[in-house]
Amino acid sequence: MSKESLEHLSSLMDGELSRETSLFLTRRLASDDAMCDTWERYHLIRDCIRQPGSKQLVTGLCVQLMDDEEAHAHTLHAHTPWAQSRWLKPVSGLAIAASVALMAIIVTVPQQGTLTGSTADTALSTPANQPFVSPNTLPVSPRSQAASFSAAQQSNSNNRLNAYLLRHNQMARTAGRQGFVSFVPIVATPIIAAADPAELESQRVESDAEQEVTDNQ
Amino acid sequence: MNALPRKVLLLLVFISIGGTATAGDAGQARKLLENMTTAMSQLTYQGTFVYVRDGAVETMRITHIADDSGIRERLYSVSGPYREVIRDRQGVRCVLKDSGSVVEDRVVASNYFPELPLSVIDDNATGYRLETGGRARIAGHIARRVSISPEDNYRYGYDFWLEEKTGLLLKWVLFDRGRKPLATLVFTDLVLGSAIDPDEIESNSRAEDFVEMKTFSLENTVVRQSSPRWQPANLPPGFELASHNRKSGSDGVYEHMVYSDGLAAVSVYVEQQAAGKVIKSGVSQLGTNNAYIRKQGDLQITVIGEVPAITVKTIANEMARVVAAN
Repeated sequence: MSKESLEHLSSLMDGELSRETSLFLTRRLASDDAMCDTWERYHLIRDCIRQPGSKQLVTGLCVQLMDDEEAHAHTLHAHTPWAQSRWLKPVSGLAIAASVALMAIIVTVPQQGTLTGSTADTALSTPANQPFVSPNTLPVSPRSQAASFSAAQQSNSNNRLNAYLLRHNQMARTAGRQGFVSFVPIVATPIIAAADPAELESQRVESDAEQEVTDNQ
Repeated sequence: MNALPRKVLLLLVFISIGGTATAGDAGQARKLLENMTTAMSQLTYQGTFVYVRDGAVETMRITHIADDSGIRERLYSVSGPYREVIRDRQGVRCVLKDSGSVVEDRVVASNYFPELPLSVIDDNATGYRLETGGRARIAGHIARRVSISPEDNYRYGYDFWLEEKTGLLLKWVLFDRGRKPLATLVFTDLVLGSAIDPDEIESNSRAEDFVEMKTFSLENTVVRQSSPRWQPANLPPGFELASHNRKSGSDGVYEHMVYSDGLAAVSVYVEQQAAGKVIKSGVSQLGTNNAYIRKQGDLQITVIGEVPAITVKTIANEMARVVAAN
C-alpha cells in the first residue's frame, strides 16, 4: 500500500478528510483486504493505547463491511427487475458508503478523558524553556483505568495520597490560595482513580532498563 | 490638521486607553485576590456550601475561627460518608469514617514557609490572564467576580466570586483552558463574625474510633532547608522552586520540593521506596488534584497538585539527581 494511502487512512481515522474523499476511501475499504487490515491494525493500536480490551469495537469492521456489500449485491442480483434499474446501483452504493462512513465516525470519535499516546508524547517531549504549544486534543484530566488492586491496597493508596495532599496543602502557601478549598477534595472524594495498568507495565519496563544501566555501570 | 492624522491620533488614544484599562483591570483583580487570601485566613465565618464535580453534588460545612487562640478550622461533609478535616496550630487532621482511618500531618508550615507575593503573577511572565467581572448575589451577599484564565495546558483557571465588602470567597469554579468547568463550589448560607456557632468547631469524632495511618515517612518528619538533591531538568513555563525540605534518617531519604507559578503549586516527593511496598505507578486523581507516581531505582517520585495531569507527569519525568560540582 502506498504511503499516500496510509496517510489518507490515518486522516480518515482522525476525521480530517473531505466528505468525497472519505466516501471514496470507505468504498475502497470494502474491497481492499490490505487496506482493511491496516485500518483494523490502526484502530487496534489506538484502542490499546486508549482502552485496553476494547478491540472488539474495531476488529471485524471490514469483514462486516464486505458482508454488507456482498449481501447487497446478492439482493440486487436476486431481484432481476431491481437489478436492471440503472439508478439503483449508484444510489445503493452511496447508501453503503454513507453507512460505512457513519460507522467509521462512530468508531473513531475521540473519547473524552482518554490520553492519546501521540499527543501526550508530543507534549512531554516539549522543552519547557521554549514556548509551549498546547496539544489541543490533550484531555482535561486523563482518568486512569479501572483498578486492578484489592480494596485494601486501594484504601491504603488513597490514604497515602491523602497524606501527600495534606502536606502539600500545608506547604504550598502560594498567593491566591483559597484556604479550606484546597482541602475540599479530601472530604469530597472517597474514591481515587487508580494507576493505569498500562503505565504500570511501562514503568516496570523503564525500571528494569534503569536497573540494567545501573548494573552495567 | 487634516482628517487622516486626526484619525490616526484618535486610534492611538483609544489603543492607549484600552491598554491602560486592561492593565488596570489586572491590577484590580490582583488586589481583590490579595483581599481574598487575607479574608479566608483572618476572618471568622461559618457556612454551608455545595461542591459539584463530575456530576456528583456534595454538601459540606465549614467553620473558620480566627481569634486570640489562633486559627482553627473544621470542614466536614454533610452528605455522603462522614469525612472531616480539622486544622489548627498543631497541624492538620483528616478523619475518614468510610475507611475508619485518620491521616495526620503535624507540621505547621507557616513557621518556615513564606507566602509567595501575588505580584509574581505577572501577565507577561506566567501563563495566566487576570480580569474582573460583574456582580452577582450569592447566599444573600453581593459578590464580585475575578477570573484567572490559563494560557496553556499546564495549569487550570479559576472564577472567584468574592464578597464585595470582606473579600470572602462565595463561589469558586475550576476550569480548564477551554473553560470547561471541572469543579464548582458555591455557598448556600454564610454567616460572619459573632453570628457563628462556636460549638461547631468541635469534632464529633473520637480518636479511639479510628486507626491512625503511619504508612510512610511523611509522619512526624523533622525537616530542614537545604539545596535540593533532586531537580527537574525542565519545568513548565512560569514554575519555579518555591520551597525545599529534606530529611535523611535510618528509614532512607525524603525530599519535598514545592514548585509554583505563583498561583498553582505542585509538590514533588522523592522517597526511599519502603521495603515490600507495591508502587502503583501512573496518574491518579484525588478530586481536582492530579498525582503522578513513578519509580526510579529504589526511589519513589510522587508529584501532586491541582494542575492538569500533563503537568505532574512532565515534572515527574524531568526529575533527576543533581550532580555535585567539583
